[in-house]
Amino acid sequence: MTKLSPQTLLGSLPTSFETGPEWLRALRGRAAATLREQGLPTKRTEAWRFTPVRSVANAEFSPEQGSAPSLTSPVPEGVTARSLRQVLEAEPTLLEGRLDLGGPPTHFAALNTALFSDGLWIDVPAGVAIETPIELVHAIPTSSERGVAYPRVLITVADGAELTLIETYAGEDAGQLTNSVLEVDLGRNAKMSHARVHENAGLQVGRVDVRQDADSNYRSTVVTLGGALLRFDVRCLLQGKGAECQLDGAYLIDGEDLVDHHTLVEHQASHCRSRQSYRGIVSGNGTAVFDGIVVVHRDAQKTEAHQENRNLLLSETATVHTKPHLEIDADDVVCSHGVTVGSLDEDQLFYLRARGIPEDLAHSMLTYAFLESIVEGVSHEPTRARLREALLTRIPHGDRVRGFT
Amino acid sequence: MLKIEDLHVEVDGKPILKGINLEVEAGQVHAIMGPNGSGKSTLAYVLAGRDGYEVTKGRVLYKGQDLLEMAPEIRAAGGLFLGFQYPVAIPGVSNIYFLKAALNAIRKHRGEDPLDAIDFMKLSKEKAALVQLPDELTKRSVNDGFSGGEKKRNEIFQMAILEPSLAVLDETDSGLDIDALKVVAEGVNSLRGPERAMLVITHYQRLLDYIVPDVVHVLIDGQIVRTGDKDLAKQLEKEGYAEVRDAQPL
Ligand SMILES: Nc1ncnc2c1ncn2[C@@H]1O[C@H](COP(=O)(O)OP(=O)(O)OP(=O)(O)O)[C@@H](O)[C@H]1O
Ligand SMILES: [Mg+2]
Repeated sequence: MTKLSPQTLLGSLPTSFETGPEWLRALRGRAAATLREQGLPTKRTEAWRFTPVRSVANAEFSPEQGSAPSLTSPVPEGVTARSLRQVLEAEPTLLEGRLDLGGPPTHFAALNTALFSDGLWIDVPAGVAIETPIELVHAIPTSSERGVAYPRVLITVADGAELTLIETYAGEDAGQLTNSVLEVDLGRNAKMSHARVHENAGLQVGRVDVRQDADSNYRSTVVTLGGALLRFDVRCLLQGKGAECQLDGAYLIDGEDLVDHHTLVEHQASHCRSRQSYRGIVSGNGTAVFDGIVVVHRDAQKTEAHQENRNLLLSETATVHTKPHLEIDADDVVCSHGVTVGSLDEDQLFYLRARGIPEDLAHSMLTYAFLESIVEGVSHEPTRARLREALLTRIPHGDRVRGFT
Repeated sequence: MLKIEDLHVEVDGKPILKGINLEVEAGQVHAIMGPNGSGKSTLAYVLAGRDGYEVTKGRVLYKGQDLLEMAPEIRAAGGLFLGFQYPVAIPGVSNIYFLKAALNAIRKHRGEDPLDAIDFMKLSKEKAALVQLPDELTKRSVNDGFSGGEKKRNEIFQMAILEPSLAVLDETDSGLDIDALKVVAEGVNSLRGPERAMLVITHYQRLLDYIVPDVVHVLIDGQIVRTGDKDLAKQLEKEGYAEVRDAQPL
């Protein structure tokens, strides 16, 4: 057992740290140095103000276990999915410069970079459009010991290629920590639809870095349904003219749980569009955090950027911290952001009740509809159906809404 | 069917209804006309049970029972229907399933078995045809992206399915073109019967050419200042509210 502090963790570095190509050792070395200097975030770290990681950091964890995500079925023809460890051993040059797409990692991402031992590289070559989605499962091991996993995934979608990726993080044991890093590199005109589902996800700190070339399109939907502490950072770099991204999220928070979404969209080129819509329901003593930044660089004229965070508070002890913001250096742009924190719409409730629908059922119908509008954006029908079902089992009186949907 | 006695209602401490007396019997259609802001919608909302209206005096009996005591859904289950002046959109809740939930909640309240999906679809198709509501609209989210006229048609579609005993229609004719008006009026007329009653709120005599009322009331500043037959509506159209009020003050 070991404490999750950089000192103890880095003190017992796995052998993988000394092996591998020169550039990887340098990358890990820089990450470790950053970590030794920074430590893990505290309450005074601005970006972690509302998310108390101290309780996580001070807990005792057994060494890494079960970090490699698994594919539910063989990948379709034309696509390759390879173990990162194997590629790093056999053809390391293929990965050079591709494991730090998001720039120098900090905090948990640095921890992952220093310590990951294996992972997955999914590559869709130019012009290959895959209709069948690829499904990844990150099983959170059920064990009496608290374990830490460092899943590492690299997705490369080359020019004109298309990919649908469904990721599921699920487990029973709230004591497990999953510290994931996923990097996405989209070529010109590449397209990726990405759904991430977190169910009973325990402790999660996850980072997604997306780099986009001209006219590429990235769409992600993150759905969180239970987890003691879930923190997700998504960063999209719109580097090529005409690139588009849409980041959506739905969260259902109850008990003492906390879900924290941080997004950063950087418009570095002109004619790019970004859209963000995060919606959640917070009840019990739950806490939701949303911090979204849109940066429009000086040359990014004709930018269109929209950002929205809507929260339904179902109890007096639930908390929402929300802060969408725009930093705009270009002048020819269309940007908007909006936030709501409130309860169900009285007019809608009355309309339903005036038609004979009992109050509790009316509540459930509106609660379901609020989140369903995000789930609707998941392109893969079986996943969408599964998410709808999961919502119905979790919202109050959801079983009564079933059949009316 | 409906008996309103000396009803006084305030909103945020401001008196809006100032002593309404009105009796509607089974089989009758009553029309209520009156200038903007006179309290017509307030009356409709109070009857349907919306929050935010304080009844400071008077009472309302519906089928002999104290209406104001009941929750909105209980009123609906008892056969009261409000056609909204401004129907609200509910994105994410499909029109057809919402209506099935409503109908079955009402049936359950009455001790009847729920309609299954197949029987409900049959009923819905039949009623949608009656009010000429396109199939596509029945499946969309409730009133979401509907035009003004489509919303009103949707109200009548819902009424046709729920078959209320007392329908309060708040300016269902506003925003309708002439053809739509006829369709809506036919929908309303097909529901008329000895067991049912209607309270039709309107600004226009035109609607009353199609839905011929038994009684017409004029509501001004929270009070019913005149009551007459269908010719009163014609007189109003010609002379305006002020004339009518001054001709026969309370
Ligand atoms: N929630 C409210 N708060 C304050 N005043 C209100 C509220 N609701 C209604 N009123 C006021 O009550 C009065 C009556 O409104 P109501 O909507 O009943 O009129 P109406 O007769 O239906 O008018 P219209 O013909 O324009 O539909 C108006 O002066 C209105 O401003
Ligand atoms: Mg009105």
